[in-house]
Amino acid sequence: MTPKYLRLATVAVALLVFFAIIPLAFSASPYVLNVLTNALILSVIASGVWLTFAIGRINIAQGAFAMIGGYATAILSTRYGVSFWLCLPLSGLVAAAVGVVIGWPVLRLRGVYFSMISLSITEAVRLAFLNGGEFTRGASGIINIPRPDAISIFGITLVPEFDGTSPLPYYYLAVLILTLTLLSLWRIANSRLGWTFRSMRMNEELAASIGVNVAKYRVIAFAICCFIGGVGGSFFAAFQQNIYPATYTVNDSIFAMLYCFLGGLDYIAGPMVGAFLLVISFELLHPLQQYQPLIYALLMIGFMLWLPNGILSLPLFERWMADTAPRPEEGGRAEPAGAVSKVSSTGRSGA
Amino acid sequence: MTQMIVNGLVLGTLYALIALGLTLIFSIMRVVNFAHGQMYMLGGFVVYYLNVVFGLNYFLALLGAIVTVGLVGVLFEVFLFRRVMRIAKREENTMLLAMGTALLLESLAYVVFGEKQRGVPPIVDGVLEIGDAFLPLSRLLVMALSAVMIVALLLFVQYTRPGRAMRAVAQDKEVTYLQGVNIKRIGMLGFFLGAALAGAAGGLLVTVFAVNAGIGTAISVKAFLMVMIGGAGVTAGAILGAFALGFAEAIGYEVFPGSITYLLIFIGIIVFLLIRPQGIMGRTA
Amino acid sequence: MSVLLSVQNLTKRFGGLVANNDISFDLKRGEILSVIGPNGAGKSTLFKLIGGFIKPTAGKVIFEGEDITGLPPHVIAERGIVRTFQETTIFKEMTALQNVVVAHHLQCHATTWGIFFNSRRAREDEARFRDNAAEILEFLGLSKVLDEPAGSLPHGYLRALGIAMGMAANPTVLLLDEPYAGMNPEETDQAVELTRKLVQRGITVILVEHDMRAVMRISDRIVVICFGSKIAEGRPEEIQSNETVIEAYLGREDAALGV
Repeated sequence: MTPKYLRLATVAVALLVFFAIIPLAFSASPYVLNVLTNALILSVIASGVWLTFAIGRINIAQGAFAMIGGYATAILSTRYGVSFWLCLPLSGLVAAAVGVVIGWPVLRLRGVYFSMISLSITEAVRLAFLNGGEFTRGASGIINIPRPDAISIFGITLVPEFDGTSPLPYYYLAVLILTLTLLSLWRIANSRLGWTFRSMRMNEELAASIGVNVAKYRVIAFAICCFIGGVGGSFFAAFQQNIYPATYTVNDSIFAMLYCFLGGLDYIAGPMVGAFLLVISFELLHPLQQYQPLIYALLMIGFMLWLPNGILSLPLFERWMADTAPRPEEGGRAEPAGAVSKVSSTGRSGA
Repeated sequence: MTQMIVNGLVLGTLYALIALGLTLIFSIMRVVNFAHGQMYMLGGFVVYYLNVVFGLNYFLALLGAIVTVGLVGVLFEVFLFRRVMRIAKREENTMLLAMGTALLLESLAYVVFGEKQRGVPPIVDGVLEIGDAFLPLSRLLVMALSAVMIVALLLFVQYTRPGRAMRAVAQDKEVTYLQGVNIKRIGMLGFFLGAALAGAAGGLLVTVFAVNAGIGTAISVKAFLMVMIGGAGVTAGAILGAFALGFAEAIGYEVFPGSITYLLIFIGIIVFLLIRPQGIMGRTA
Repeated sequence: MSVLLSVQNLTKRFGGLVANNDISFDLKRGEILSVIGPNGAGKSTLFKLIGGFIKPTAGKVIFEGEDITGLPPHVIAERGIVRTFQETTIFKEMTALQNVVVAHHLQCHATTWGIFFNSRRAREDEARFRDNAAEILEFLGLSKVLDEPAGSLPHGYLRALGIAMGMAANPTVLLLDEPYAGMNPEETDQAVELTRKLVQRGITVILVEHDMRAVMRISDRIVVICFGSKIAEGRPEEIQSNETVIEAYLGREDAALGV
């Protein structure tokens, strides 16, 4: 089987497992479904970050946009009685709009400068909600966020009300959101848009010289990232039915990046693989839960030392990935070679 | 009014110590030490344990903190950063490694030190009155100590052989390497000094503000803000950024309630970066 | 020949340093104009100013009768002035073909949404770009390395690839930044031939170059800058006998000017 068909087959099996086999097998176990739902939406949130990696920005702000999405849903639904089904896309749009406003100036920064300011954004947004007065109810947060209601058209119920007796509806919704997210990212990555983003990651000046409006495209990428984060936050708000300024911290932003890295930045499925691996292994290692940050830290360091391209770069997955974009040889950092040749070529022209 | 100026000066001097450590490592290694705040936290705890728990003289405890945290920095450089910088094909890798070390220090601190706030009593008693402003003598001492350390660092970088080598590396790594400077040793020294400065800041400030295991991120964020205001990798910029932030805080806390000050500072910085993305003294990319 | 691009009193200061001082010259359609000067004379700054990568302190750039001074680089590229880079500035992690396909950005007919949903127009774009990219690469003698990762190509190929990307953007004026640097005489010969072929395809060329032999052979006109100021302008033979120019290259006029 060629890698392409192997991947298609894998996707088909995954869809079958997530939509049919898991719900059948675990319908009596709300605990398992809750854990999986958590992993699914964390994958969604991290997938947004993956897209900012694609344009060469290290984004430590995703927690902020999940929080914005969560608060948007909380405020719209508790105060204005807006249905969850409207809140979900609206929250994504609110997060994307904030992303555009903040992103426009901030995305001009590159490398460490961008990551420093994005980390600050996570803090700033937390403070903004903490100081939001009556609007956000400060530290006491917003509670009793309603569950998603039924969707009916002409008296026919398409989606029943989420009554809270079973986590299954949430689970299905989460699978659906993740599927749509990955589908969108797959389209972006395999279209011209993805190549434009990649070209910006490799060299923004060069991209501009061939006519790419770099400022516009990086805001597009960032806005999509924020939209995805906002949708994830909106889901969690309705899932947990409450939100506080402490719901998302800098650590959540960092974890979203960690999932991407763990899976591998070169693969669309990377964030999902990373999120599932970490979330599920921590459920299995329940007694170790108090050491979660410590183990995350050791994993992060270990991966950077020994597996910098993520799990999906392991030879085990080579059959799936064989025809994806070419990579330069391992460890081939371009700078030293470039610098040496710079010295030698000036030497030559001076001679 | 006088009080605001006094507070701004004190904060600015102490913050300069924090910002200098961060900018030092950045200028030499092109690495942002995300664990800077956690190193500050560690410095505070070392002083707390040596001074309050084991009854050691405060100044010896401070020295202990400087050396301990400096060595942590060296360990990080030798065992982690060196390898990752060699094999990394993307800048992201070293940055994530730096975040990993931050998370490591923080989670270890929770395990070892627990969640309690720890403070160290003021080193000296008494209050200085300047016009209608009050300046506790212990704060004056802390400020003086950090000023001395800043000057010592600047002199070291300016006039000693290793200091000059550090500046050369910051200017142009390849050329310095070609001139036969041992880049590895300079990197180690840079990490030692940068971390030691964070430890010193923590050890000094623990007499003013209590520390807890989770304070690191907030300190790192402050350090990032200062460096962004002043321009990354520029010594004078770090000091400038520190005083800018110190005064902004001093004024903000006087005028606004609680955490609104920081919210405004964040908004201000985003607007500032719109106008001047490389900071006040930063070089254009 | 009509004036295509007109540089008028262009000045750029970095702090106290004057990188370009009051530089003016005209570029005529279909010619090859070279900008030469000793190291650090401000040639690269001039390119960056024309390409919109930095904004001038004073002066204007007029292109096809319109003031394009200070426009962002992607707009200037859209207008038809495309710049190639010194050394190995390419998208290293893409193949040679992908580099050139990506460089077709300006020829995109499909909208962003169309690209996302893979509309018919987007598919047509893609097919057209691939054909065109393959054609350009063949024109430049790169068809052997179509699918090689660009990061692993040898130097000479890289420079040609840079030119291929510039051509993909369908320029009226191509700014070539040191296209012959670090080449041996044979490679230079081929590259000079190639530059001529560019002009035959209707592209007007400005190049910045150190290699005097190549410059003298290929240029219709030459602009000499020294310490940021223009000191001479004229045909190659005029430049070779220009006192001020010889002065500027003092001590190595024979070798440097190829006389």
